[in-house]
Amino acid sequence: MARDGKTAQRESAGQEALDRQPVSRPDGDGPLPPSDDPMSYTYTTDLAAIRAVVHRYALEAGLAEARAIDLTLAVSEVAANTVKHAKSPGSLNIWYDEKEIVCQIHDEGVITDPLAGRRQPSLDALGGHGLWIVNQVCDQVEMRSEETGTTIRLHMNLPRSDAGH
Amino acid sequence: MWYNKCVDLLTVSVTARESAGEPYTLVEIAGEADVTNTDELRRLLDEEVSQQPRTLIIDLSGLRFMDSSALHALLRVNRSLDRQGGVLALVSPQAAVAKILRLTTADRLIPVFDSVAEAAAD
Repeated sequence: MARDGKTAQRESAGQEALDRQPVSRPDGDGPLPPSDDPMSYTYTTDLAAIRAVVHRYALEAGLAEARAIDLTLAVSEVAANTVKHAKSPGSLNIWYDEKEIVCQIHDEGVITDPLAGRRQPSLDALGGHGLWIVNQVCDQVEMRSEETGTTIRLHMNLPRSDAGH
Repeated sequence: MWYNKCVDLLTVSVTARESAGEPYTLVEIAGEADVTNTDELRRLLDEEVSQQPRTLIIDLSGLRFMDSSALHALLRVNRSLDRQGGVLALVSPQAAVAKILRLTTADRLIPVFDSVAEAAAD
């Protein structure tokens, strides 16, 4: 009975995701899809706290430990850019469904290189590894940077929850 | 000033040791190393490099996390030691630290050992 109840719940959550309508965003319509009910955090330099939050939600969402570590590293690298370059606090939103967990980081910094993080920097380079690492460990990275700030979404696919059934 | 809050995340201790008559410097880094405490880490490591050790061993077993800016601090130490004829070795990285070393291939540039004894004997 308990299992049946759980399955039904999962199906209804899936249905809800399908029915979800795009909502308008205060920062205009962009290439990033909207989200509802994310968990929100604001950070300035407390990156350890941000990492703890991401790691906890990654495990809760169903990521394996190694992948939870990857996501934590990726979020920390993006948030480190806020500390280094943005002159204001950053915000982190986390949400997940049965398919993926998404971490969205926004700050007022601007990334001018559209290929930032797409090329592997040499080990002699004294910077530039951060975004490259992010692109290596995440399943999908969306980046939108404009005059008002930068929004980066990191996606990690979750293992299929019905595996073995 | 934000720096003070974060520096207690990171503990660095340094001891002078010897293995089979050969002196080496052991640096133990514990906690979490990221952009908010990299300057301090770099300053402490630079101090040791300036002592011109033949062998500098960094024990990472107590380090739960390292980001790319802390990695650059280690790469910088490796480069400086290399220039002055010294050697850097890393010991026992935890999963998250091992991951960034592997991803960036820094672990192919800097030797990584399972124990301080192994690193010292090498």
